[in-house]
Amino acid sequence: MMPNLLENILTPLAATVAQSTAPAEETVQAAQATTEIVEETGRPMRDLGGTFWLPEPQSTLAPSMDWAFMAITWLCYICFAGIVIALVYFTWKYRQKGNEVVYQADAPLHNTPLEVGWTVVPLLLCIAIFFMGFKGFLDLSTPPKDSYEIRVTAFKWGWGFKYPNGATSENLIVPVGQPVKLIMRSSDVLHSLYIPAFRVKKDVVPGRYSYLWFQADEIAGFPESDTSVETGHYLFCTEYCGTGHSNMNRVVYVLPQDDFEAWEEEQARWLDSVPDEDLYAVAGPRLYSKCSNCHTIDGGANTGPSWGDPTSGSLAGLGDVWKRTKDGTTPVTGGTKGKPGTTLADYIGEGKLYGTPEDYIRASILNPGELLVAGYGPNMPHFRGQIDERGIDGLIMMMAKIDEFDAAGRFKGTLPSVSAAGGEGTESE
Amino acid sequence: MTTIDANSPASTAVDPPVDNYLTYTRGILSWALTLDHKRIGVMYLFAVLSSFFVGGVFALLVRTELLTPGVTLPWVDADTYNEYFTLHGAIMVFLVIIPSIPAALGNFVLPVMLGAKDVAFPRMNLGSFYLWIVGAVCAVYSLVAGGFDTGWTFYTPYSTTTSFSGVIPVLIGVFILGFSSIFTGINFVVTIHKLRPPGMTWFRMPLFLWATYATALIQVLATPVLGITLLMLIVERVAQIGLFDPAMGGDPVLFQHFFWFYSHPAVYIMILPAMGIISEIISVHAHRHIFGYRFIAFSSVAIAIFSFLVWGHHMFTSGQSPLMNTLFSAITFSVAIPSAIKVFNWLSTLYKGSISLNTPMLYGLGFIFLFTIGGLTGLHLGTLNTDIHLHDTYFVVAHFHYVMMGSALIAMIGGLHHWWPKMFGKMYKENHGAIGFWLVFIGFNVTFFTQFMLGSHGMPRRYYDYMPEFQIYHVISTIGSYIMALGFFWTAYYLIASLISGKKAPANPWGGRSLEWQCSSPPPHDNFKTTPSVGDCYDFSVVHWDEEEGGYVVDRSGLPESEEKPSSH
Repeated sequence: MMPNLLENILTPLAATVAQSTAPAEETVQAAQATTEIVEETGRPMRDLGGTFWLPEPQSTLAPSMDWAFMAITWLCYICFAGIVIALVYFTWKYRQKGNEVVYQADAPLHNTPLEVGWTVVPLLLCIAIFFMGFKGFLDLSTPPKDSYEIRVTAFKWGWGFKYPNGATSENLIVPVGQPVKLIMRSSDVLHSLYIPAFRVKKDVVPGRYSYLWFQADEIAGFPESDTSVETGHYLFCTEYCGTGHSNMNRVVYVLPQDDFEAWEEEQARWLDSVPDEDLYAVAGPRLYSKCSNCHTIDGGANTGPSWGDPTSGSLAGLGDVWKRTKDGTTPVTGGTKGKPGTTLADYIGEGKLYGTPEDYIRASILNPGELLVAGYGPNMPHFRGQIDERGIDGLIMMMAKIDEFDAAGRFKGTLPSVSAAGGEGTESE
Repeated sequence: MTTIDANSPASTAVDPPVDNYLTYTRGILSWALTLDHKRIGVMYLFAVLSSFFVGGVFALLVRTELLTPGVTLPWVDADTYNEYFTLHGAIMVFLVIIPSIPAALGNFVLPVMLGAKDVAFPRMNLGSFYLWIVGAVCAVYSLVAGGFDTGWTFYTPYSTTTSFSGVIPVLIGVFILGFSSIFTGINFVVTIHKLRPPGMTWFRMPLFLWATYATALIQVLATPVLGITLLMLIVERVAQIGLFDPAMGGDPVLFQHFFWFYSHPAVYIMILPAMGIISEIISVHAHRHIFGYRFIAFSSVAIAIFSFLVWGHHMFTSGQSPLMNTLFSAITFSVAIPSAIKVFNWLSTLYKGSISLNTPMLYGLGFIFLFTIGGLTGLHLGTLNTDIHLHDTYFVVAHFHYVMMGSALIAMIGGLHHWWPKMFGKMYKENHGAIGFWLVFIGFNVTFFTQFMLGSHGMPRRYYDYMPEFQIYHVISTIGSYIMALGFFWTAYYLIASLISGKKAPANPWGGRSLEWQCSSPPPHDNFKTTPSVGDCYDFSVVHWDEEEGGYVVDRSGLPESEEKPSSH
């Protein structure tokens, strides 16, 4: 069949192109090649999967959408073929040889039955298609009563998911075989939550709540290794929202009911179980995953200032985030409480806006935008209600010891207390 | 009539035509202050094509950047990319496609087709052109003032809060461009009502006139809504009065309603005149009476009316109520019917025709091919549950490029080739035209068909960075865009070359029957010395090839008395 044939050609081509973008090393094994793509783009190369037109359906309502899509597509094939065949045949059959017009007096000027026919038949087809879509849409917009409710906050540029027991996450984790209803709000501009595998999408509008529901019917659990996101479904933002729009994507993991409950429980309680001496090494990296979209650790440029020693931009040469904050050398261009042309030293100290460097960092997490670092816009969302005081503590300590973390935010040394459980932390990142 | 004689082979080739609009007066001012609809049309044409070049360069930058995930061109970061695609969209919509057919080709052709000396309000016509210039200058100024990254749709609250400072200048520019469009619309409505020659009843008008009439109605009725919406947006951005910003009790979805209440009809401002051109091209180059004249004419009007009732189909995922979604989906399908009718009628016009595969005809047939794809994929998007999956993905991008570019712009290029000999009195080389067409046609399909697959697999639009598995489609698409660009550069080359060294065009190179083929090429300043009267503009039984003339002549000996002889024959 034509589509499959094309697909067979396209898939190896895709692999070739992907490899050519990886650093040019002659003898890279296939496995290594994949890792390098991960390193370079931050994303693993996946198989597109599914059919010529659609990705693998993964929710209960996806098959009916797919059916409608393919029914319309086949109708399109038939209409298109008919039109193009007529077009080519007539053009060839009635082509004019030479310049003289070959006038055919019996060519009809109109034909009422024919014209009424090709008005009524498409109309009937359209009505049928409309009802097909209407029925599917009613199902999509009616969440079942017993839905599991997850509250979603969209912001520039990420998602916060909050579960009924207070657990929070950046990726969306849902139980398998149970209807899930997302109750969504936006803290800044329009966003839109889209999960292609589930065929669902809904705009997230500031100032109102919007709902979206789905029921995942197959397990897509956490990946084995944390550098690869082979499992899980993509979650995209599909309403244009600025600089980080195309990086506002996350992964949906579908867990068996028991695993989900265990995960949720652990996610809500993990911070309490981290011993104080391990706080920066365990809680820091885990919470950093909320920050990593905009703040690098290795000094690289991104939407927000790097926590490491920036190699370029207005902060180059000023040292890592803790050093430049402590020294007060960070230049400020404004903000709700700042003035252009000043530095942090003007705001931190006895009787000033912030008593201590720690106060400044805490305020930057809870009320960002009070001071704007030179060269960076007012882009950071606030994290009030998403990180508690102990977590902020962990993050500040992590910044102060940023050398002990690698570029991905992983702790490089050995834990101050060896008693910390090894399993936690890796799952959600 | 002297004008015709001047162009007839009897006069010597070295003598310049006694009177044509290009040589009627000389000097820059004679163009800048002209009231001649033909000169205004030509100036519009130059302006629109220049904008097309600029918009095209941004398109190529966008496509090149998308060759690899993440950064491809070293100077293009996410913000720059966002600015590029915004500029591409805004330029192509507001500066190119909306004015392209009505203001450039329509201005030139419409009064001649009517046998009139000019449009009803020539000064307003010139005013429209200068408003266009002012609007374009505002858009350029916005780049100097800091650029804008809102997307051409200006959705709130992003557009009221973005730190790019060129937003207000471009909004003012688009506001002014709106008036340019309204002026053209008013002119065309009045001209068609009042300046038709004796004998040209409504149902004897060439279908291009029906299409531009329907278009002009939309321009006059819908564009003011855009103007007010943009003013509200400016006020909101300057004074934060809380019209659209939820933080102050406003509603961002309200903006979408306002915006699409104009911008959906605007889609038909783009496609309706294109359909009109295709009706002309197909019928003239097939030398065959258009099939189902009344159905085509009425379908133009039907489309114009329906176009006001379907704006909500851009907002199925926006959170508007399911009832609204349902109604808008149902009405949306009603637009499919008149569009389908037109395609069937064009096909039937080929039946028992006498088809010359000239370059304009290639574009005409190419239009039917591309418009069919663009129209049929509209079914996926009008259907509620499939649109939920496809909305704001590349599927939508591919769909509207098939309609806006593959149809509206292809028709514009086709019309340009169709009327080029009339406008400039020169023939381009036929085989050059065919090469250009095939490059554009193949390049277009390679570019945009792949984007349907991207979209249905879930690739969202307006993405700077993307998943590596999508790359192969992006690479193919980008290669297609290069082929297309090559085709356009080639077309620009041979058209310009024809001005310099092209063969002199006969009055009627294709065998057309409507009035513009009865005056000389290029037309004299006044178009017609006396008001011509007309018969059936699709009756090709009297069209014959004249070897001496190098073009077609209309044998009027057998025509009924009512049809005056406006030309020398």
